[in-house]
Amino acid sequence: MVVNSLSFLWFFLAVMVVYYLCQNRKELQNIVLLIASYWFYSQVDIRMAILLLVLTLVFWLLGKGIGVAFDKDDNRRASILVNIGVAIGIGALFYFKYLNFFMDSIIAFAGLFDLHLSWTAMKLIVPVGLSFFTFKLMSYVLDIYHGKIAPEKDIVSFTNYIAFFPTILSGPIDRPKPFLKQLTVARIFNPDNLMNGFRRILWGMFLKMCIADRLDIYVSAIWNNYEHHSSISIIFASLLYPLQMYADFCGYSEMAIGVALILGFKVAENFKRPFFTINIANYWSRWHMSLTSWLTDYVFMPLNIKLRDWGTNGTIAAIMLNMAFIGMWHGAEWTFFLFGIYHGLWYIPLMISGQFFKKTKIKVNSHGWPTAPFVAKMAGNYLVVTFGLMLFHSKNISEFWAILCRIPEAWNGSLFFDMPTLVNGAICSIALIYVDIQEEWFPNKKIYLPSFAERWRWELTIALEIVAILLFGIFDSNQFIYFQF
Amino acid sequence: MKKLLIHITIVTGLFFVFDRLLGCGLGLLYSQSNATDEYKISYSNESTCDSLLFFGSSRCLHHYVPAIFEEELGVSCYNTADWGIKNIYYHYGLLGNILTRYIPKTIIFEIHPCDWLQTPYSGAERANSLAPYCGMSNQCDEMLQISGNYWKYQLSMVYRYTGSLPNLLAGKYGTMDRSLKGWKPMDGVMDTTNVKAEEYPFAEDTVKIALLERFIKECQQYHIRLIMVESPMYICSKQDVFRFPRILAQKHGIPFLDHYRDSDFMGHRDLFFDFGHLNRKGAELYSKKLSKELRNTLPAI
Repeated sequence: MVVNSLSFLWFFLAVMVVYYLCQNRKELQNIVLLIASYWFYSQVDIRMAILLLVLTLVFWLLGKGIGVAFDKDDNRRASILVNIGVAIGIGALFYFKYLNFFMDSIIAFAGLFDLHLSWTAMKLIVPVGLSFFTFKLMSYVLDIYHGKIAPEKDIVSFTNYIAFFPTILSGPIDRPKPFLKQLTVARIFNPDNLMNGFRRILWGMFLKMCIADRLDIYVSAIWNNYEHHSSISIIFASLLYPLQMYADFCGYSEMAIGVALILGFKVAENFKRPFFTINIANYWSRWHMSLTSWLTDYVFMPLNIKLRDWGTNGTIAAIMLNMAFIGMWHGAEWTFFLFGIYHGLWYIPLMISGQFFKKTKIKVNSHGWPTAPFVAKMAGNYLVVTFGLMLFHSKNISEFWAILCRIPEAWNGSLFFDMPTLVNGAICSIALIYVDIQEEWFPNKKIYLPSFAERWRWELTIALEIVAILLFGIFDSNQFIYFQF
Repeated sequence: MKKLLIHITIVTGLFFVFDRLLGCGLGLLYSQSNATDEYKISYSNESTCDSLLFFGSSRCLHHYVPAIFEEELGVSCYNTADWGIKNIYYHYGLLGNILTRYIPKTIIFEIHPCDWLQTPYSGAERANSLAPYCGMSNQCDEMLQISGNYWKYQLSMVYRYTGSLPNLLAGKYGTMDRSLKGWKPMDGVMDTTNVKAEEYPFAEDTVKIALLERFIKECQQYHIRLIMVESPMYICSKQDVFRFPRILAQKHGIPFLDHYRDSDFMGHRDLFFDFGHLNRKGAELYSKKLSKELRNTLPAI
């Protein structure tokens, strides 16, 4: 069930009605939410829902065990239990997502030394959202171990935290403390939440249906047949891909945040205009923020502390490992690993120049616009990101290499121009860029409306957004790109 | 709560105002289209007045040269076919819309397996091209209902034109050679590398078959002479692909002119643009051949 589908709308409306009918009893509300979440997730595959439930119960028991161990001052036992938790989390990820890849890689590597090993690839269905919920599970036991939270007594609340249906498929990856806290109080129907949530859902739909799905037609047409396209078309499609990715994933996040808000939950933000950044460190602090902050807290910081004796080299090593994790988190393919390493390499000059630790502020002119050198740096950073996403988009390294080789070979061809796709996409992309510029540099400046219309600003915006989606949207679209992770 | 209801009411009201205003504007642009597919569809639905009409999908669009038929048969012709694997859902809706304006004397229907088989790439959604004509005829509305979008087109006028704004603007300011009368010639010669016959391993579709029967019966009811035709292919399936339309034509007493394996065309690379579509030269030759055949065998046209 896709979030921007009619079936989801009916499902959500039904859940919302029942959920707020029992708004005075938080326990009942939590049970409604739990049933809804599991029903939603089981629509993908009932076996996945069972796996999710089993893992949830195991981690809940582990959390309890760590709490008991701390009560008895048995730190060793707590340490063993948290390590078991992390091992189960990583083990589940490894088994479902990376086992075949790992074995294939070993066999290929052994082949280099004339060692002939054999392995029959296992036919495994990767549970949807696995990378998201395993991270939530691990952060729960780690946070208990580090004393940030107490073990959750209520199994329903904990299960809700893991399976919360707006975020189970593609995040944002919420931390246990702020989320579980919200489950301890009854969520009373709030018209402001409904209005703001609805607006974010619509904005997410606009990003997904009018920009991401539109650009996908062009980008896929070129990338899936790159051997027949000119250099200029391949470069143009590659330059559009970061925008498509942003609209796709940010669109999903906006919808998830909006749905959660209507249900009375504030979940983590995931994007903060990532292309208005001048270096890769800035970019990652604004792109898929819930993942990067998770990895910063649970991977980079501990690594950095462990490697602190190596000085700058230790930090660089921690960054490279962290970025390799980010890359591999996206999938079992060497392209993802290289994607992470490629980004990691861009951190090295920042580390050496000391910019990594500085908070960069973009200079603006008297009108509030960023100055030309900063615009040039932003454009440069966009190119850096584009090259990385070419790796990300390629099915494997051979394809990536073939595309790179195609670029210098096919300069004599013309630009493939799919007029309806590009014009529709351009109109909507300009709207997105306008909104992002407005929020980034002119957050207090609103479009002027005559006073009689000013009081209906929200209504006007919503009505126009719906009409825009109907006019420019694609209604028979693909899944979200991030569902595969 | 009261405040929220007011907000919702205002949003709904504003939406309908914006949607109707913009929808009317888009509808105007659509019917004023001078080029692009929108012109073709709007002309076929709103403006045709010719005695002989060609119905079908891309093979019909590229294969039937109205000027040649006009010269041979002495009647005005128009090729209403549209590309994009259009099937009986679209043809039946189009027929309904045309019948609200006038009754053509003859329809030449280039039938394709997607008109009676459960082809996964061509289902009821093909009728959505008729969305701007929602409400024009019962047949059209019924097809849009089967496609599952009728209520959406009723609810939103803008949705009828979703994604088509650039085409509408290009159509408004572009031009098209109207003397071709709906025919779209293809220039070039096919590349025969790896060419294989198209197979249709699909079950019969009872809904499509019922619609085909209704199409035939409605033509008979309005005394329209219906001729089913199959034009040549570069390479043909070994199966008897057109057994079904042959039986159907026999059942209803209508002619079925089968040129699928016509040796004047089959295997002649220079007459094809690709394995299923004749190029300009091939289409002109085929139109001459078919128009003569019609003149000799069906003199009443």
